[in-house]
Amino acid sequence: MKAISFDTRSAQRVYNDYIQRCRKATSILSEKDKEDVLLEINSHIYEFLSANGTKDQLETLLNVLDRLGPPEETLKEIVASKKIGQATHTFNPKHLAQALALNLTNGVIYIILFVLFLFEIAFPILIILKLIYPDQVGLFINNNGAFQYGYVSEAGSGGISVGFHSHAKVTELLGSWFIPVSLLIAVLIYLGIIFLLKIIKKIKSK
Amino acid sequence: MFVFIILEKKKCYGYELIQDIKIEFDIDVGEGTLYPLLVRLAKEGLLTHQWEEQPSGIPRKYYSISAEGKSALAAMKTFAGLILKKLND
Repeated sequence: MKAISFDTRSAQRVYNDYIQRCRKATSILSEKDKEDVLLEINSHIYEFLSANGTKDQLETLLNVLDRLGPPEETLKEIVASKKIGQATHTFNPKHLAQALALNLTNGVIYIILFVLFLFEIAFPILIILKLIYPDQVGLFINNNGAFQYGYVSEAGSGGISVGFHSHAKVTELLGSWFIPVSLLIAVLIYLGIIFLLKIIKKIKSK
Repeated sequence: MFVFIILEKKKCYGYELIQDIKIEFDIDVGEGTLYPLLVRLAKEGLLTHQWEEQPSGIPRKYYSISAEGKSALAAMKTFAGLILKKLND
């Protein structure tokens, strides 16, 4: 990006500081998206200065920056929107988590998807726990027909459970299949989140 | 709708679009409103954009209305016409 040159040091400093804040506000985006946003902001400042720059350059610069607003606020929606695009294209969990976190205030559906994402993280944790405590992690069922998918110990339990009391006699059903089953569930939830994001995008465009 | 009406006539870059909306409709659209809107409309396929190099070395991002955008504008015009008709009846 070609930086704009100013006649005075104070105007140059104000401009440099604003662009730096824009870089920081877009640092979460891909290089391509970041460059696209920065180029457009820079272009807008340049066009505004060209059209109104006959007066004091610093004053004109302050006017356009005032109109643009703080980058952290102005770029918030743009960054959130571009991040969703990046997450659905790359399938990268890091981008997905960031996209959902950035869009939390954009509707209940994003809150649900974020909770689903947190829920999805539990499965890889359970896989690790299964390797450490093979007898205490699994799909347990007791003699009352209640079940639990997760961690069970004498002190307490953790995981998805329906009417489960660890004091009753329990049987583990999956054995070593617990790991592939958990992996499959995690992948399915992950693909489900991506699919829902694509559906939301389609609905919003109608 | 104002964005579509302007872009139906010619392609525009952001600053030009703000100025044209001001002249044509006497509405001062803030940059903080316009740019997120342009990103959203482009993402939804209603607008297209392309960067054009300038002699200054600072390129302009020109927005144009897509075929989908033109259909959306036609639907908006029909809807606006119906509302006006109802108001006049």
